[in-house]
Amino acid sequence: MPEAPLTLPALAPPKPPRAKLPPLVVLGAVWLAAMLGIALLADVIAPHGYTALDLRNRLAPPAPFGGTWLHPLGTDELGRDVLARLIYSIRMSLLIAFGATIIGAVIGTSLGFLAAHFRGLVEQGVLTLVDFSASIPFLILALAVLAFFGNSLVLLVCLLGLHAWERYARIARGLALAAGAQGYAAAVRGLGASPWRIYGRHVLPNIASTLIVSMTLAFPEVILLESGLSFLGLGVQPPETSLGSMVGYGREYLTRAPWILLAPAASIVLTTLSVSLIGDWLRDRLDPTLR
Amino acid sequence: MLRFVASRLARALLTIAMVVTFAFVVLRLSGDPAQIIMGADAPPEAIAAFRSAWRLDEPIWVQYLSYFWAILQGDLGRSMRDGRDAIVLVAERIPATLALTVPALLVKIGLGIPAGIYAALHRNSLADRLVMVLAVAGFTVPSFVLGLLLVLIFAVQLGWLPSGGQEGWRHAILPVVTLGLGGAAVLARFTRSAMLEVLGQPYIRTASAKGVPWRAVVTGHALPNAAIPTVTIIGFMVGSLIAGAVVVESVFSWPGVGRLMVVAVANRDLAVVQCILLLVAMTMVMANLVVDILYGLLDPRLRSGTRRAG
Repeated sequence: MPEAPLTLPALAPPKPPRAKLPPLVVLGAVWLAAMLGIALLADVIAPHGYTALDLRNRLAPPAPFGGTWLHPLGTDELGRDVLARLIYSIRMSLLIAFGATIIGAVIGTSLGFLAAHFRGLVEQGVLTLVDFSASIPFLILALAVLAFFGNSLVLLVCLLGLHAWERYARIARGLALAAGAQGYAAAVRGLGASPWRIYGRHVLPNIASTLIVSMTLAFPEVILLESGLSFLGLGVQPPETSLGSMVGYGREYLTRAPWILLAPAASIVLTTLSVSLIGDWLRDRLDPTLR
Repeated sequence: MLRFVASRLARALLTIAMVVTFAFVVLRLSGDPAQIIMGADAPPEAIAAFRSAWRLDEPIWVQYLSYFWAILQGDLGRSMRDGRDAIVLVAERIPATLALTVPALLVKIGLGIPAGIYAALHRNSLADRLVMVLAVAGFTVPSFVLGLLLVLIFAVQLGWLPSGGQEGWRHAILPVVTLGLGGAAVLARFTRSAMLEVLGQPYIRTASAKGVPWRAVVTGHALPNAAIPTVTIIGFMVGSLIAGAVVVESVFSWPGVGRLMVVAVANRDLAVVQCILLLVAMTMVMANLVVDILYGLLDPRLRSGTRRAG
């Protein structure tokens, strides 16, 4: 029997011809891979502990500008190694951004599916929540919650996880409704599959590419939010360190020791830029619904 | 049209009621409000007085209603730092914030929209590429990094401009530029894609085909239609006139609402935080309301009640 040529257009869109990767996207991917490697191997590659003091080498400039190779990127006011702090900050910022992005995607997608499945009051409730969270700038909401509940790393990750949930909810609901109108979901339902099975094994894989694109686009926003909050001193708290809190700390030494601030600032910009480039490229390739 | 406005207004009021409810719930979830607002080592009499003032001994729904009632009367509590009314404290800071955000909004519109239109009309040209690169950069460079870089260059190295404070218009230049450049990038990107979408529509081809000069096609057909989505994002920017400068105000030590918010959060001065939260939500909701009504005026299809998806 030949393979069934039953191609439902919505299920198997014809693959666009494989275009050459734009060089900027390749650079972005390389940078991102390097960041991930640094985050994973932080304990191995960091030259010093991130709280280790070297009081004889305080505010030492980076090695090429007259510092020692003991501290390639210089030291801060307490003699802590900037490179080591940068490495641990990258790990912390990426960890928070990944955690928060995944939380947001899971919450948003689940609520979107719930809305699409139950319709009626549940759907109205979810849509009202979507309206609500669109009505307050997220930074203000986050600041208010931090003021009320105090600060902890877990709370920070969960809070940032609420960022952009409404986008996933809107997308998941819309696509799940569209999928419900297509043959495959009705067919599986007709076979007696449970809602868990329908949404988890059939609808989700079909809309995954759109969700992944949204996650790639939300990821840099989460990094920016976290670094903004940490810069204000309201995100990651000492002794822990993140890219934003390094910039916030370095700000005090802007005139005397700009290297404390420039290295983490460059890391933030290059990382968000890389993910954005990859996200834009993915969106153009994978996602017919957003454009 | 009246009906349309009424339904939008009802929706706006509902959203504001939800924000108030949110503030109430969060305050209750975070523990005993008396302890939190008065501080852990407040004398028992003060706690008792607070409890009766806030009706904390009544059932929760009575508390909720009286909370609502107090807010309707503009009673948003007192700052625990200096005992003044939170709403007065916040209102004092609004002019300083607007002194940054209004000029910044003009910069955003004045730079972003022309750049976006130009890029769309010269698609794939060098200028288009440049605008897009700058637009992506504007989105990915956080405002505090941009602000500190500008300080490093123009205040520290060149010494042309002050690095912070609020003594005169020269102090406002760097914060306004910081705010304006980031927003202009967003707006340019948005305007460009709105224009490209409109330029691909059949009616543009029709207008060109029947011999309308290109300039007239752009000004008469493309721009008005591309204006509709662009108005939304400008409405969002107007809505964040008060809240949009939290980070930048902190970078430049500018005594506005955002700086007040950050200090209040760090000190857990909850009355002030709550007041700013409500104020910001109201501005945002108002701006959305105006945008919705403008939409109704710009696009008669929306008045009939069936909104386009997306």
